[in-house]
Amino acid sequence: MTLRESAIRYGFLALLAGLVIFFSLATNGFTSPQAAVFILQSVSLTGILALGVTATLVVGGFDLSIGSIATSAMMAAAYVMVVLEQDAFVAVLACLAIGALVGLINGIIICYLRVPDLLATLGMMFLLIGLQRIPTEGRSIAAGMTMPDGSTAAGQFDPAFLALGRHRFDFILPDLVPASVVVLIVVAVLIWFFLEYTRFGRLMYAVGSNARAAEFAGAPVRAYKIWAYIISGVFASIGGILLAARLGRGDIASGNNLLLDAVAAALIGYAVLGASKPNAFGTAIGALFVGVLLQGLTMMNVPYYTQDFVKGAVLVVALVFTFSLSGRTAR
Amino acid sequence: MINRRTFSRLGLALAAGSALLGMPALAEDKPAPFDKPGDVKIALVRYLSTGDFFQAYLAGVESQAKALGVQLQVFDSRQDAALQADMVDQAIALGVQGIIIQHGLTESMKEAAQRAVDAGIKVVAFDVNVENDKIPQVEQSDRDLARLALEQAIKDNGESWKAGYVYVAGIAPLDRRNETWVEFKKKYPGINEAAMFGTLDNPIANSVANQARSVVTANPDITVMFAPYDEFAKGVKIAVDEAGLSSSVKIYSADISTADISAMREAGSAWAATAATNPAVVGQVSVRALAMLLAGEDPGKQVIVPPTLITQKDLNDNDIKNMEELSAKLPQFAHADVAMPAWMPNPNAK
Repeated sequence: MTLRESAIRYGFLALLAGLVIFFSLATNGFTSPQAAVFILQSVSLTGILALGVTATLVVGGFDLSIGSIATSAMMAAAYVMVVLEQDAFVAVLACLAIGALVGLINGIIICYLRVPDLLATLGMMFLLIGLQRIPTEGRSIAAGMTMPDGSTAAGQFDPAFLALGRHRFDFILPDLVPASVVVLIVVAVLIWFFLEYTRFGRLMYAVGSNARAAEFAGAPVRAYKIWAYIISGVFASIGGILLAARLGRGDIASGNNLLLDAVAAALIGYAVLGASKPNAFGTAIGALFVGVLLQGLTMMNVPYYTQDFVKGAVLVVALVFTFSLSGRTAR
Repeated sequence: MINRRTFSRLGLALAAGSALLGMPALAEDKPAPFDKPGDVKIALVRYLSTGDFFQAYLAGVESQAKALGVQLQVFDSRQDAALQADMVDQAIALGVQGIIIQHGLTESMKEAAQRAVDAGIKVVAFDVNVENDKIPQVEQSDRDLARLALEQAIKDNGESWKAGYVYVAGIAPLDRRNETWVEFKKKYPGINEAAMFGTLDNPIANSVANQARSVVTANPDITVMFAPYDEFAKGVKIAVDEAGLSSSVKIYSADISTADISAMREAGSAWAATAATNPAVVGQVSVRALAMLLAGEDPGKQVIVPPTLITQKDLNDNDIKNMEELSAKLPQFAHADVAMPAWMPNPNAK
């Protein structure tokens, strides 16, 4: 392996290691189990969303609606529990159903009604940002809120639901690993295995690299694409569930920042191990990279706009790694 | 009509008896044009509208307009500055007598507001400076908000502590709150600002929580967090809870909502106090200031709605669970005696 090849392959991982070492020296408390877990927690949301969008990138698509699916799921969870007075199980099911349904609709619009993916999911994004506000006439949802008709909502957030965002498992230290980190790891391993090692996943890559060839080879291309959007929608709704459980209320929000961070993580993932293609492992590393960077910079009292700048710079560097250094021939 | 008026007077009399609202509420008939309020049309031209604050503000505008009996038309530009200016022209074309400009940018609204004034329309502006002598400014006093919260922090924690401060520059109300913070730091040299952070990435509470986690990890000896915007405070509270520091950190903030109330009242909550102006009251005051102009009275150049300090103890002692109960149980929060000439109907008196 030449120097150039190994730089492409391991450059990003080396950069990540370098960052960790730098922050450990420059700040107090960066290298503690708590800080490590916290970095994972802070990226769990964007990580899960990014893994979902990776599935759509794999089939050569794109999903701009994930941020608003996540915030809609958050509102739905809050609505189901606070207004409809249901328990955590119903709330989780409702969220997942919404994610799957929105993904299915996205897929149908893109594959059967032939609307380009960016435009279809952009439309869905606006639709959801509006839709999530309709049931409560634009109010955020919290226990004891006043409804549009003047009555008071009687429901509460189910403690079992809040535990999804707040419970901590004992690992090395007591109460160390938050449930959201466990969800992130489980989801990451699942999608990684699914994309890399199952026939279904391999065919999704085939659809993404050359849909026509895949079709001639007998693969039901539309079905694979629709499944990719369903995966993306469901993952985004899982992110929304965790968000609702952490905040303990339904917050009206567009979720655009979630979308941007998730897409950034997935794109940075292209550069990891010189893959030059969407891949679950790279996405997870990309999310972690952004998390380490933001945690470290915040600990050094760097203001938020500088952090956005740094995030953007990392993304540009990653894309240069992918498209220029490694060329389009890799793999 | 006679029946309704009799009833409302009865209600006012009862309210006056119980809440000491004062006698002027029973005064003579309203001045023109409010003797025939059904013919009066006013418009609310909004720049910002999504979020609990703006919902409550609108509710306040609606309730005062209803109490006066005037027609209200709401224009919502949804953060489109050019559209907001066009909407003022639309309102002029519709023949409204009065306009409330709610937020917006000085640059885009200055000329539109002047056109309205030139057309003989009375205008008031809320939280936007349109640089016009004929247009009164309705404001919630951000400096007072910050001052009330910080005075409580001094009262609770003494004059020297290590602080974390949440701030995003360039947002007018936050900048005004920041001025007070800077003054306080000068006045009390014992206050040591160990970290300043903040972001408006939405969901704001979630993004601020991530930042605050880093800050408390780097500075575990912070005892006071000054987060002068409730979304900031929510984020800080999540971070402090997650870091297991709820008992060693106290959070002081500004603004309040139903969700904030439940967060402040959680067992062992670090959120000690918040200073807030009731957005519904601000909405009512906006309409009242406009009504005074229409009746030929002068509400003053600046109409300032005073804030109220709300502590965790207040909420627990009165068992307050949402904004309605807060208004009901803390009367100073429910009504501001601002722009209240004798003839003005009080929308809160039922």
